[in-house]
Amino acid sequence: MAFSPALTTEFGALLGDEHVIVEPDRLRVYDCDGLTGWRSTPAAVLLPASTAEVQEIVRLCTREGIPWVARGAGTGLSGGALPVADGVVIALTRMNAILEVDLASQRVVVQPGVTNLEVTRAVEADGFFYAPDPSSQQVCTIGGNVAENSGGAHCLKNGFTVNHVTGVTLVLPGGEVVELGGKVLDEERPDLLGVVVGSEGTLGVVTEITLRVVRTPATVTTMLAAFRSITAAGEACSRVIAAGVTPAALEMMDRLTIEAAEQAFNPGYPDGAQALLLVELDGVVEQVDHDAHAVEELCRSLGAFEVRVARDADERRLLWLGRKGAFPAMGRISPDYYVQDGVVPRTRLPEVLERIEELSREHGLRVGNVFHAGDGNLHPLVLYDSATGETERAKELADAILLACLDAGGSLTGEHGIGVDKACAMPGMFSERDLEVFARLRAAFDPEGLANPGKVLPTPRLCGEVPGPYRTHPLERMGLAERF
Amino acid sequence: MPSASEQLRPTSLAEASEALASASAGGRQVRIGETLVTDGLTRILQHEAGDLTCTVEAGLRLSELRAALAPHGQRLSLDPPGDPTVGACLAASLSGPLRHRFGTPRDLVLGVTLVLGDGTIANAGGTVVKNVAGYDLGKLVCGSRGSLGLIARASLRLHPLPRSSATLVAEVNDPAGAALAILRSQVQPSALDVLHPGRVAVLFEGVAPAVEAQIAAARALVGGDVAGDEVWRESRERQGRALGRLRFAPRDLRNTLSTLREAVARPSAGVAYVPDRVGGVPSAGVRQLQRAIKDALDPGAVLA
Repeated sequence: MAFSPALTTEFGALLGDEHVIVEPDRLRVYDCDGLTGWRSTPAAVLLPASTAEVQEIVRLCTREGIPWVARGAGTGLSGGALPVADGVVIALTRMNAILEVDLASQRVVVQPGVTNLEVTRAVEADGFFYAPDPSSQQVCTIGGNVAENSGGAHCLKNGFTVNHVTGVTLVLPGGEVVELGGKVLDEERPDLLGVVVGSEGTLGVVTEITLRVVRTPATVTTMLAAFRSITAAGEACSRVIAAGVTPAALEMMDRLTIEAAEQAFNPGYPDGAQALLLVELDGVVEQVDHDAHAVEELCRSLGAFEVRVARDADERRLLWLGRKGAFPAMGRISPDYYVQDGVVPRTRLPEVLERIEELSREHGLRVGNVFHAGDGNLHPLVLYDSATGETERAKELADAILLACLDAGGSLTGEHGIGVDKACAMPGMFSERDLEVFARLRAAFDPEGLANPGKVLPTPRLCGEVPGPYRTHPLERMGLAERF
Repeated sequence: MPSASEQLRPTSLAEASEALASASAGGRQVRIGETLVTDGLTRILQHEAGDLTCTVEAGLRLSELRAALAPHGQRLSLDPPGDPTVGACLAASLSGPLRHRFGTPRDLVLGVTLVLGDGTIANAGGTVVKNVAGYDLGKLVCGSRGSLGLIARASLRLHPLPRSSATLVAEVNDPAGAALAILRSQVQPSALDVLHPGRVAVLFEGVAPAVEAQIAAARALVGGDVAGDEVWRESRERQGRALGRLRFAPRDLRNTLSTLREAVARPSAGVAYVPDRVGGVPSAGVRQLQRAIKDALDPGAVLA
């Protein structure tokens, strides 16, 4: 495997010289994604403009045995787009066309470099929107969303990226192009599309995507409930869901996050709140009115001392202000922070939040909690100062929080992906057998192992030979007694 | 069909694994549903009402699951014809009228435990409603018809039972136009079926005032009258008798119907259940990929 000048020429002939980047200072732009702690400089960055060009790139790389990493906007938080040293990055940013808007079918066909928000912009005048809304939606690309099966605050009711992709064009690692799905699913054969979405670029390169867009709801109500304890707020969350209400979004912020948000944006949240619950309800007017009333009653009965209801779009923006800007706001109160992404069953939220507080004390580092409470997706923000040597302790604390999530029957990641960041943690959630089966599936798509190697599955090179602390998979744990 | 004595009938995950391992060692082929049956795997392993999730063994029938969940005010939002097992729902990707709002098994499965042809037990996904760790084998096996592995257990997303519901049935000359008008509006039906020729049925679920308001709004768009559940029974029965599934871009609903004598169509999903078998051979590339996956997960070709 070597990236020779001859190969640069060959790629130049294919893509145009200006779309082949090999100069070290220009390559550095691509040496990490949103997880900036991991860096690696690729041998070349290639900027194709079509499916056919991607296909040729993949064929050439396969011929030369060169690994590749496909990349969108590079906003991912798990190092999924971290380059392989001496490999190539296939940057899909030039493939940014909306190819078709078919509102009679409620579908939009896009190239992978289209940003998430552009899809909604293309259809909102006609009363539609694209539901998955990761916080980075202004810049993150649909290609990246497909790779990561991205979520967002409004996925609670509408589902995740995988529930909104009905078809993709996939360039397989061997160079063949296959169409999976289309404007409709429901093929009577294995759901290949379902396994490709969320596969973090390890099963091929997606070059065209058909998305489902949904009708804008008749009304939206946003409410903010202030609690004097985070446990009560966590309890309110699971009770809202258990009461049969399905909010469009159900978000939570703790005291530390509230403080940071106040310093950064001054949204004027209720004084003395230890936790805030942000509840958004949408749909037909009569249902939303009923649910809003039910949510308010429930929150008050569990000790909410103030409940605010946004009456218009401006007030709604104000309620969301602190939540949407929570991550950057942390910069006001801490030099560095690490965003963890774990999931727990909703009913275990209160106890896991208490456990996180304990762990925070034990490690002597602050943890801000701001997260998608409705689906149990925690985003603990571990605050630290790399200048005073706290980095290692922060990593240990973040790992300990993840183990607490797994112990509660949860998951390593709800929406940020495994990437390189959590590959070594996979044996904590999956057995050696499970991982071996994953590896077999991966090899069926990519026998040469050239598509985003080193991501998703643990490798001895990355993780050493020591097996992780496997906790029986929650599904298998059930009814274990009967087996022995 | 093999006789009962030749059938493998595991009653636990461990037995399922042993059964397939020994079939594999003995070079015997297994056809799930025929030479290996799952009616010994019918337990509900967990139902966490507050989480709206459950984990069940795959031989559990939908009627049994429905009965167990109803007292908790919950359901699995899957209503295919007949009373298939959970495993069959996944393996054959079965759904009914509720797919309009809630999707197909792929949209409701959170995790699976598979037993591969050589007896290997493999877990994927999890039991929580949001999770992107590892490859989503739970979706992969949807539609796989037992060819990739035995679905032994599945974790599923549940929904609250609606407080009330009502159905509107409209007899119209242009059911496609009526269905598209409903889709274009802001009502949020749980089901929208075209019973071709001549009728559109719409199901609303929720609190009573919301259901009433939506019935009124839908009626203003397409006419018709409030009806009982019979129309959904009819829809499922006709779907159950149909031999073919036709796929079409939702915008082509009218053209698609014009070529059909009769059909039950689900417009937002772009699927019509038609009396006759319809072909639909995947491309050579997809076939090759499917074969590679089959070889990877079932290298001994134990599963038919």
